[in-house]
Amino acid sequence: MNAPVPNIFADAARVESHLLPDWLGQRRAEAVETLRVNGVPHRRIEEWKYTDLKTALEPANDSIAATAQWSIERVPVGVTLFDLANLTAAPGWVQAHFGKAAPAETMAAASFALAHGGFALHVPRETAIAESVRVDFSSDGHVRALIVLEDGAELTLIENQSADGGFRNTGIEIVLGANARLTHVRFAGASPEAVQIEDVAVRVARDGVYRAHFFNGGAELSRLIVRMTLKDTGANADLSGVSVLGGQLHADVTTHVYHAAGETRSVQLFKHVAGGKSRAVYQGKITVAKGADKSDSRQTAKALLLGERAEADLKPELEIFADDVKCAHGAAVGDLDADSLFYLRARGIPENEARNMLLRAFLREVVDGIEYETVRDTIWRSVEDALPRAMMSAL
Amino acid sequence: MLDIKNLHVAVGGKEILKGLTLSIAPGEVHAIMGPNGSGKSTLAYLLAGRAGYEITQGTVTYRGEDLNALAPEERAAKGLFLAMQYPVEIPGVTTLTFLKAALNAQHRARGEKELDAMSVLKLVRKKAETLKVSEDMLKRALNVGFSGGEKKRLEILQMALFEPKLAVLDETDSGLDIDALKLVAEGVNALRSPGRAMLVITHYQRLLNYIVPDRIHVLAHGRIVAEGGKELAQELEARGYEHIAGKAA
Repeated sequence: MNAPVPNIFADAARVESHLLPDWLGQRRAEAVETLRVNGVPHRRIEEWKYTDLKTALEPANDSIAATAQWSIERVPVGVTLFDLANLTAAPGWVQAHFGKAAPAETMAAASFALAHGGFALHVPRETAIAESVRVDFSSDGHVRALIVLEDGAELTLIENQSADGGFRNTGIEIVLGANARLTHVRFAGASPEAVQIEDVAVRVARDGVYRAHFFNGGAELSRLIVRMTLKDTGANADLSGVSVLGGQLHADVTTHVYHAAGETRSVQLFKHVAGGKSRAVYQGKITVAKGADKSDSRQTAKALLLGERAEADLKPELEIFADDVKCAHGAAVGDLDADSLFYLRARGIPENEARNMLLRAFLREVVDGIEYETVRDTIWRSVEDALPRAMMSAL
Repeated sequence: MLDIKNLHVAVGGKEILKGLTLSIAPGEVHAIMGPNGSGKSTLAYLLAGRAGYEITQGTVTYRGEDLNALAPEERAAKGLFLAMQYPVEIPGVTTLTFLKAALNAQHRARGEKELDAMSVLKLVRKKAETLKVSEDMLKRALNVGFSGGEKKRLEILQMALFEPKLAVLDETDSGLDIDALKLVAEGVNALRSPGRAMLVITHYQRLLNYIVPDRIHVLAHGRIVAEGGKELAQELEARGYEHIAGKAA
């Protein structure tokens, strides 16, 4: 007999695959199987060592089968929006991609199997959308999104995870055609009462570009997973993020970049500031497949601890099967540089102000690297809003 | 201006300065010369208030106050300036932003009016011109990617901007070619004034050809072992530290 589906996933067992359209039934069944085999992730699973979801969800002993809310205020001309609540009427581009990346990751499988809604966006070939699309996720439960950019399409997606709700599990699939370009900006402000998991699965075709900039204010427990496949020559990914944490907040950014083809490029820069009793986690795995020669991957993660009880866990990991590649990675956890602090103070800048300057300078490196001014300014405002909490050394 | 009496300083439990006595009056320029490891930089850092330098004996009085009781930023606001041997690179803070923050912090501490960005820029530009500090340098992150000469010129620019009462120059000549050295020395000389004292710390006599001191002290093994006028520098250059230190011992 099969092991039972773990409690919070219990509703998955009730999904009646034969009621689903043919194209969906098999993918759902695979996702349910993933849940059955893996169960709720917990700290004894290596990738979840620093993010013990099972313990965080224990108070919610019941099945979590609600669908979280999503809203998009304006859909720009040229973009098609499809409501995933109407899957029986799904157009070809949804059928082609929806849920394909879900079964490979437990929480993606959960959102795919359990969410009763979500949205899908489509940008046709060679269409550049100047106006950005803003989506807000709120309340409890699972929710799915699918973003499809056909060859040569361009879009900016601004995602906001609201602080309300208890447990929210968001699963986003992004499919970029040849030469397509997506800029994905994600804000997750401090959410002390919430457990927020998000899985972003990205596939980038030839010469496509995925750019992502994340701001994490942390939650009771939060994890952002980015699973990316650079599947054809010239595919390009640029990921950056800042986490500014205080109190007992937790933010985990876990990335897996898979260089499947040659001459693909990925750059990652993540910086974390952790004060109080907060915990910042970065796990970044880069895999360069056999034959993916002349691939270039760079990965930097740094954390500043503002208090003795704050914690940062940085785990870069490289897996290289190709012969001719460029890979550079580094990770460092530390305090503010004592020499810099002394230099500023010796010029008359009081200690607190000097610390402030250095802290902002540390985060500036990431934010200044963002190409779009409005995005840069908005992320910087989030940083400014979050810093006071992080700098309070007390609880 | 500055009175150091029988100063003993330990770093990491190890005694570096072992009974140093020195007195500088307003308007005077003193030089401290000494070989590597004699305690020159320890004295410089101690005066500026760097953490980890412990006075185990003796006193340092600056304009009638116990210097040891003041935080580094308080010393700066009260007119003490250290031009550092190794100016720190700070990515993410532009030079001009830093200069404005420092200048205004000192003004605030002294109860003086703060300057707006435009006034600071005007003031900095005026001082920058003579020191050949380019507009580009002011826009770049503090000391990041600056050459050795650029870093030292920026130190002197700060000295000109803050108008300190006591300036300590720690190995300002190190790593400079002769043209850069002349430029820096001219900058320093322009700041000599009856109300301002300077302490020039150097390993080599070369700098003292351009910044001519009133008095030279030779530091060896944590103590002043010889003192004299500007001619002492030539003697040191000709006969070496060993000779002078040996003669004094």
